[in-house]
Amino acid sequence: MSKKLIPTKNLSDEQLEGCEGLGLQALGIDAERGGAVSSSRRQFIRNVGGVSAASMMGAAALMTHSDQAQAKSTWAEWFQGNYRLMTKKEKAEAIARLEKRYSEEYGKKVTVDGTDAQEGVLFGYALNIQKCIGCRRCVKACVKENNQSRSKEQEMEWIRVLKMEKGEFSKDKMDDGYPLDYGVQVGGNAYSAAGVVLEGEHYYDPEKVPESDSHYMPIACMQCEKPPCVKVCPIRTTYREPDGPVVIDYNWCIGCRMCIGACPYWARRFNWGEPHLPKEEMNPKTHYLGNRPRMKGVVEKCTFCLQRTRHGRYPACVEVCPVGARKFGNLLDPESEVRRILDRKRVFRLKAEANTYPKFFYFVD
Amino acid sequence: MNKFIKFIIDYVVYVAKGGPKFYAWMGFLVLFVGPWIYGSYTQATHGLIVTGLTDQVSWGLYLANFVFLVGVAAGAVTVVFPAYVYHHEPMHKVTVLGEMLAVAAVIMCLLFVFMHLGRPDRAWHMIPYLGVLNFPSSMLTWDVLVLSVYLILNLVGGFYFLYKKYVDEPLNNKFYLPIIFIAIVWAISIHTVTAFFINTMPARPMWHHSMMPIRFITTAFAAGPALIIVCFLIIRQNTKLWIEDSVIDLLSTIIIFCLGIALFLTMSEVVTELYASTEHSFALKYLMFGKHGLHDLVPWFWTSVVGMVLGFILLLVPRIRKNYTVLPYICLMIFGGVWIEKGMALMIPGSIPTPIGEFSLYEPTTLELFNCAGNWAIGFIVLTILLKGAIGILLGDVRYAPASANR
Amino acid sequence: MVNNMIIRENTIMKMYPLSVILATLLFVQTPAAFSEEEKKCFESREGASLAIPKEIEKGWPNVKCSPDTGGVLWWGDPFDGTIPMGEMPIEADYSKGEAVVKPRENQLKLFAICGVGCHNGVFPPFPKDKNPRKLTMHTDIIPDSLDLQHGRGGIWCLDCHHMTKRKKLVDNFGNEISFNEPQKLCGKCHGPIYRDWREGIHGKRIGGWASNGKKRWYVCTECHNPHDVQQGDLNSGFAQLKPEQAPVLPKGLKNTDHERIHKHH
Ligand code: SF4
Ligand code: SF4
Ligand code: SF4
Repeated sequence: MSKKLIPTKNLSDEQLEGCEGLGLQALGIDAERGGAVSSSRRQFIRNVGGVSAASMMGAAALMTHSDQAQAKSTWAEWFQGNYRLMTKKEKAEAIARLEKRYSEEYGKKVTVDGTDAQEGVLFGYALNIQKCIGCRRCVKACVKENNQSRSKEQEMEWIRVLKMEKGEFSKDKMDDGYPLDYGVQVGGNAYSAAGVVLEGEHYYDPEKVPESDSHYMPIACMQCEKPPCVKVCPIRTTYREPDGPVVIDYNWCIGCRMCIGACPYWARRFNWGEPHLPKEEMNPKTHYLGNRPRMKGVVEKCTFCLQRTRHGRYPACVEVCPVGARKFGNLLDPESEVRRILDRKRVFRLKAEANTYPKFFYFVD
Repeated sequence: MNKFIKFIIDYVVYVAKGGPKFYAWMGFLVLFVGPWIYGSYTQATHGLIVTGLTDQVSWGLYLANFVFLVGVAAGAVTVVFPAYVYHHEPMHKVTVLGEMLAVAAVIMCLLFVFMHLGRPDRAWHMIPYLGVLNFPSSMLTWDVLVLSVYLILNLVGGFYFLYKKYVDEPLNNKFYLPIIFIAIVWAISIHTVTAFFINTMPARPMWHHSMMPIRFITTAFAAGPALIIVCFLIIRQNTKLWIEDSVIDLLSTIIIFCLGIALFLTMSEVVTELYASTEHSFALKYLMFGKHGLHDLVPWFWTSVVGMVLGFILLLVPRIRKNYTVLPYICLMIFGGVWIEKGMALMIPGSIPTPIGEFSLYEPTTLELFNCAGNWAIGFIVLTILLKGAIGILLGDVRYAPASANR
Repeated sequence: MVNNMIIRENTIMKMYPLSVILATLLFVQTPAAFSEEEKKCFESREGASLAIPKEIEKGWPNVKCSPDTGGVLWWGDPFDGTIPMGEMPIEADYSKGEAVVKPRENQLKLFAICGVGCHNGVFPPFPKDKNPRKLTMHTDIIPDSLDLQHGRGGIWCLDCHHMTKRKKLVDNFGNEISFNEPQKLCGKCHGPIYRDWREGIHGKRIGGWASNGKKRWYVCTECHNPHDVQQGDLNSGFAQLKPEQAPVLPKGLKNTDHERIHKHH
């Protein structure tokens, strides 16, 4: 098929052989689609004849990728459009390309799923803040499921658990107030936090949890119905899917970090360097908009485990929470667990004043 | 067409030749380019991990410099506005120098923005039709638009003027004046949009107040003319181009007014935030006094306050203001003060604490400093070239001579 | 082993000293039998439901365990080792979906020998009433039987355990309840919690999120220790456990001291 497009007939085989020395194979661009590399090397070099001038442009950028397999698809990926606007065919090609690259890179069969939102479903989450013991298992489950980077230099966790003091009011502190000279009266007990406020400890590390003097509050992306992160993105690479989650096309993001600035929940993380994901720990069941491996320079965040939930499965954090504090389901289904919680329990949204309409609710028994 | 090619050749030749002072200055600037190449290459290959940025503080020095330089670019209008609106004659003569400054500043802005991006190779995603421009929803797209238009306006306006002067033809005012007046309004818009770029984020309470745009403009109209005064005084001393005292005096008066208002606005913010002392004041407290045992920004803030307040007071005294030996130092002090105020002291505490209350630090790495210094150096190289060429044409040193073409 | 025990039941009953020796032997053996399967990791609470990591398809384990805390960190197969809950005569609100549970009986250390070596009605004889008394056995489970950490003095072993059939729990009418369905027992007192559990609000479920999806339901005792729900001063219902590691500190910070300075000026 691509042969028709390329006048390679007058090139002798020797000439083609010679091309290899030029490192052209590294370009790896299928003339027709800028896509997958053909199996035969010679055929492939023929294809290079059809490489557009535009694709030569980035040759310099490519030199930094010595690894061939990666370079090949980096090229095709570099030219691909915004996933949201791709045709079905283009999506399938983009996915095939990624599956090939990931499988080579991680040395196992990696699938990239492109399943769309299911009709009549709006995902919602509820967390029982009274039950959470701050064990951070949800944090680590998320890392395992969603292929985040894991190394001391670049550790990525989408969920942050805050420890907050229950508060202690004591007689000793009665005299700790502002000096009277200021003319302002402040009670000495104003100096220590009490109750669930966003002034917690992020790096708490006791022998055992829950500690008797603390509450815990996990925070991740709220999948806002009015997401400020989507509003500020200059290229619409982050957008709300019809079933609710706010997703990112990692191949389209330019890494401007506007969204990080705009998110009131500090839910977004940035790949400061090339992510470190050990081959054996990599979760091979991925979704294009979900947990597929990311690259340096792009933003990522929780997607309600799209790769699982679009196939009916609970998110990883729900399943791992030892106290069952995490509840997930379809907000459009009155029988779902989340809807029952909305019916029955005292529910609140974090930072409701931001008016972002999170689909992540906190509740108490 | 011949004339135009000749213009370019003569311009380049004139700019390339200079005295020892000129070469020394350019050589000094080039010194910064080496580390810059190293820094940019390292950042391009390893990613932003080579900077001091973190998920907690994800906007740092690059964006801080960007915001400041948008102000400098906008500040050029302090030359153009009096010239064309108040018909200030001596100012009129040197307007084009202001436009050159604007061009150089916008180029620096672009350098800093590219450095800030995680994937500069994908910047084409912003080009309409090739990519997707989320306009008008995203403030960043507004910023991109107004900045590129401003760059074009100043390039076209400035070089049209210079070219006409070069070939000694009268200006076509029907073409030229609209550009000038649009550019004046546009200068305000670039900085307003840059303010909106950060103050439309309620997630960052320190930025989220409506005073931001006017504070941006006033500080810009203090820092911009401060730099221009320094440039003008250097030009006066080192070239044959005589810039009238009245130009310098008018600019320093503009600084007084704008800096005065800026300081007043800063004071208003401090009182508003600290008096009520809500959670939204944490960032300001972190900046002014340090919080939770972290104090890294405190010296920056107070240095900036001293620079701006002292500069303001000194300028108020006519004797000092008119002493052109001290004036450049006062201007540099103000320039530095505003640079800190809009850079480190605005950008960084906006991220501290994070929206979920985490306090942290931001320490730029050496590489980051290399890159920033390099961007500035490149900007000044561009500025020097632009100013030198413009001065040559204004002086008549560079002039169209058909005879010489035959030589 | 269990079968052996049952076959020999009659003989053992007549030989009290021997049975004690045997029981003790078994008892001592149990921890040993556990360490032999060290790979197990606990699901909700330590010592309750355990999962054994194994590969269910290539490169896809049923569970991943935490190297730091020994807890399950990730579920590849949520239905591993489960049996249908439908077989159980309870009125849980799962009628629209498929519900499964992990049987509790085979997870209980003494279940196999219970009612055989001991509590067989002979040595010791079945109790005559429900009055609390000092227990000399099972002090690992209940250190001080006169200070039972459940019910604050209001209940006694035999409010939950069947008086004569020690492999069973007991309901309000004296009917047997299986150890696999403790919710029926706990629901006797904890009505509102029981209701929340049936509706999917309280407790843990894994598997499918749809209201008519297949789920594994966790039963009460998989998370709560019925012999020590109060957890002393914690008064929490859930035992303390070791947390997973804290996040890595951001660049520039050497320690977490700043987090503990709560001076609000
Ligand atoms: S929580 Fe933040 S990242 Fe998530 S949708 Fe809302 S604004 Fe966007
Ligand atoms: S960092 Fe990426 S997702 Fe975020 S606003 Fe920029 S382009 Fe959009
Ligand atoms: S796993 Fe559950 S209990 Fe543990 S921190 Fe997360 S939400 Fe809280």
